[in-house]
Amino acid sequence: MKILNDEDIYQRELNRIFAQTWVYVGHESEVPEPGDYRQRTIGEDPFVFVRDENGTLRVLFNSCRHRGANVCRAEKGNTTHFRCPYHGWTYQNTGDLVGVPQKGDGFDHLDADEYGLREAANVDTYNGLVFACIAPDAPQLEEYLGGATWYLDMYFDLIDMEVIGDPQRWVVDADWKTPTENFYGDNYHVPMGHKSAIDVGIGSETATGEEESELYGIADCDGHAFSIYQIDSEKPMFWGHPEDVVETFNHDALDDDQHEVARRSGVTLGTIFPNLSFIFLGGRDDPNKDPVGTFCLRQWQPRGPGKMEAWNWILAPKDAPAEYKERVYEVGMSTFSAAGNFEADDIGIWDGIDDAAGSVFVEQTEATTLFTMGRGENAAATIDDDWAGPGTAYADGGLTDENQLDFYRTWYETITTEGAE
Amino acid sequence: MQDEQVQQATLRLECEEFLYHTAELLDDRRLSEWHDLVTDDIEYRIPIRTTRERSKPTEFSKSAFHMKEDWGTLKVRTNRMASDFAWSEDPPSRTRRQVANVRITDVSDDEIDLKNNLVVVRSRKAETDPDILSMERHDTLRRDEDGYAPDWTERKGLKLARRTVLLDHTVIPTDSLSIIL
Ligand code: FES
Ligand SMILES: [Fe+2]
Repeated sequence: MKILNDEDIYQRELNRIFAQTWVYVGHESEVPEPGDYRQRTIGEDPFVFVRDENGTLRVLFNSCRHRGANVCRAEKGNTTHFRCPYHGWTYQNTGDLVGVPQKGDGFDHLDADEYGLREAANVDTYNGLVFACIAPDAPQLEEYLGGATWYLDMYFDLIDMEVIGDPQRWVVDADWKTPTENFYGDNYHVPMGHKSAIDVGIGSETATGEEESELYGIADCDGHAFSIYQIDSEKPMFWGHPEDVVETFNHDALDDDQHEVARRSGVTLGTIFPNLSFIFLGGRDDPNKDPVGTFCLRQWQPRGPGKMEAWNWILAPKDAPAEYKERVYEVGMSTFSAAGNFEADDIGIWDGIDDAAGSVFVEQTEATTLFTMGRGENAAATIDDDWAGPGTAYADGGLTDENQLDFYRTWYETITTEGAE
Repeated sequence: MQDEQVQQATLRLECEEFLYHTAELLDDRRLSEWHDLVTDDIEYRIPIRTTRERSKPTEFSKSAFHMKEDWGTLKVRTNRMASDFAWSEDPPSRTRRQVANVRITDVSDDEIDLKNNLVVVRSRKAETDPDILSMERHDTLRRDEDGYAPDWTERKGLKLARRTVLLDHTVIPTDSLSIIL
């Protein structure tokens, strides 16, 4: 349990997880035009996510090669150049150093080609999701995502999605692993933890029991995990999107098995290791309004042992009518965000785990948390061999800890692997 | 003082009393009484702020919000927060709203536009360093039979018809916005 609040472990996480694996930096739709940029962090490190003038996506380290000042000081914008406010060194949005004041007099010897902004060694995109890996030797992104691509295609290849506006950001008194573990597949907490929101009638049809469904927990998926509610119906479910919006989807992008899972999908959530989670649900912000499908993509940013900053982006199908996209935004915001009727209660509950985790008592007794749900003779959760997708699928997936165990196994493997520390 | 000045000062006092009263309702967690003082067509918004260059016209998003509410969604929130299972506010966080710098910007027959500053000091559990939220609010108050009127006035009471909360924060410095600003 102490791993949820321990300085040494935290430093190891920054060095061996966030600096060694592929970490999400943003969505292509956040920087549509050449020169568009957004400030982002990888772990705690400051980067600029920019589409350069050639259209290439780059993840530049936000620190001048001269004395280290931030060259980019606004959170977002559009620029051809970043000019350092300290001594005026100027970099193109490609990162190339193109201007050094009084170069002839003071920096005659300097080879500008050698002093472009530093950048993440690897940047790659999967279905619009842009990831970066600071370390030079990384597997291909697609290889890293592994079986998760089968699932990501169901959302991002089937649907051309775009981010609406800016992410909500807020500080949370919990370790980044607590929500990550939760979004790996803690579906056991929903009836208790979210009772207040379900009771006022704004839950999804699966949460309120309006639709019969089976919950599948997908573990052993190359380190990533998903939870997928499948509704037993002939109707097109597609996470609660209405028919006219479903018509705009790229139905040919999926194979028949994927398409069938998508068609029957109610709430779906999951996490790409280390800290990118999402929840895709049909919900509403008022029981008197129609439900819409909304997609909340979130990143749990480490900000110290037992501390994090949550980022939440809301995505809508690009080709849907403008009013519908606005509703998607409103429903996403009012369910899962800093002011989300669901999310607020998660956070209210997590507060305090970090205090216990950092306690002397936990240290001295080597106390652990418990991950045995779904073991034992009469366990309800069973492996479904007929599941078409990658990974191991547990039917009655709300009653097993396999998904969360998967997170901690991947976490343990990653922090114990020697990296370029 | 001239009549007109007296009138203006009285109007401001009336608005201030409305703001103090509604702040008290929120501090005391009398949420449904607070909700009774918003109009049916209320527009309540907390746009997301980002750090921008000074040359940009605004730091506030037109499309992204922490809250973007109407009468019904505010009702959902106040009902939910009153539930016995709203873990984010049970035990409740303790809030103290300081309303200041009330400036009336426009007055029409039945509506008053004003700006005011708000600092919310929020404490939880045994923590000794509270979360502090600081903002400017742009409000429109409307005359309404069922609105709030201080007892010294003969005029119709006031309800909140529009509120835009302009936070001083790009990152919300508190665990969750399970309170109303
Ligand atoms: S630190 Fe950037 S120009 Fe000197
Ligand atoms: Fe939850």
